[in-house]
Amino acid sequence: MTLTMDYTGQLASVTGVAEEQVEVGEGECLLDVLKARLAVHGEKFGELLFDDEGGIRSTLLVVLDGEQATGDKASVSLSGVKVVMLMTPIAGG
Amino acid sequence: MESQQAAYELSDRDREIYGWQLDVPGLGERGQAKLRSSTALISRVGGLGGPLALSLAAAGIGKLILVHGGELRPDDLNRQILMRHDYLGKKRVDAAAETLRQFNPHIEVETVAENFNEDNAADLVARADIVFDAAPLFEERFLMNRECVAQRKPLIDCAMFNMEGQVIPIVPGETACLACLYPEVPEHWKRRFPVVGAVSAVIANIGAIEGIKLLAGMSGVSLNRLIYFDTLVMKLQKVEIARNPDCEICGEL
Ligand SMILES: [Zn+2]
Repeated sequence: MTLTMDYTGQLASVTGVAEEQVEVGEGECLLDVLKARLAVHGEKFGELLFDDEGGIRSTLLVVLDGEQATGDKASVSLSGVKVVMLMTPIAGG
Repeated sequence: MESQQAAYELSDRDREIYGWQLDVPGLGERGQAKLRSSTALISRVGGLGGPLALSLAAAGIGKLILVHGGELRPDDLNRQILMRHDYLGKKRVDAAAETLRQFNPHIEVETVAENFNEDNAADLVARADIVFDAAPLFEERFLMNRECVAQRKPLIDCAMFNMEGQVIPIVPGETACLACLYPEVPEHWKRRFPVVGAVSAVIANIGAIEGIKLLAGMSGVSLNRLIYFDTLVMKLQKVEIARNPDCEICGEL
């Protein structure tokens, strides 16, 4: 299935795109998809997404079709999901 | 939002100054009176806090408490619209207060020439009906969130980056708090980041609108929503967010 990935904040800066379409295999979870994107977007992208243990950072907001994913973000099912939005924390100034 | 708002009778001058918004459905004289009796605390009066303060002043807030340490630098001037080039080197909070008092002499403006910190947090929040977070560091933002949750005060969290920004209206016990969304200080956030002043003003005004609605008792506050605006492509989106039942800050409420 085709999934739209939306990147905001620092993620959009390191990928150079705010949005991209990706092909996702049957049964793939979010962690699988993000690891595949890491191969495309490189180390800085990975630093923003993954902690030292390789898990998804606690501060990364994962939004599935407009709704925040709660619980274990890594294993979240993407079945039926059209848009995954990834939001890194931002602040004022 | 009745907590500290005292009964206030609109004066003829109020009716004259705020006449255009008295006709706004859901605001009216009752909402305006609530605004006139409200105190808003704004932490940092830079790119976000400055235009936010200006819009609250225009709306006729009763009192602003401006919290900001440090002096004006040249690289503040692309976005900090309460400042002026001839204020360079002076305390930003004084410059902000001067501009606001000139703009609306009928509101009270108090200045605190230091940033929000462990020593002043409880007292500052206790004196406000609502807090606006426009600070650049997460340590400061988390402290504001913690104190607002402890005192059950609403917090409007405003943030920006590049051509984007977001606003999260937080009502302790009803909505997700900042720590529900970000349980720890983000490792990769940097104090200095790219942004255009017009973007910070837009995001600030979304925050001001949410705060005005809350204070005036209007409907439509985006509770449990993160308002995200990408001005590069003019995409406005409301993201549904959820409380974390295990949140260390608000989980017990
Ligand atoms: Zn919380």
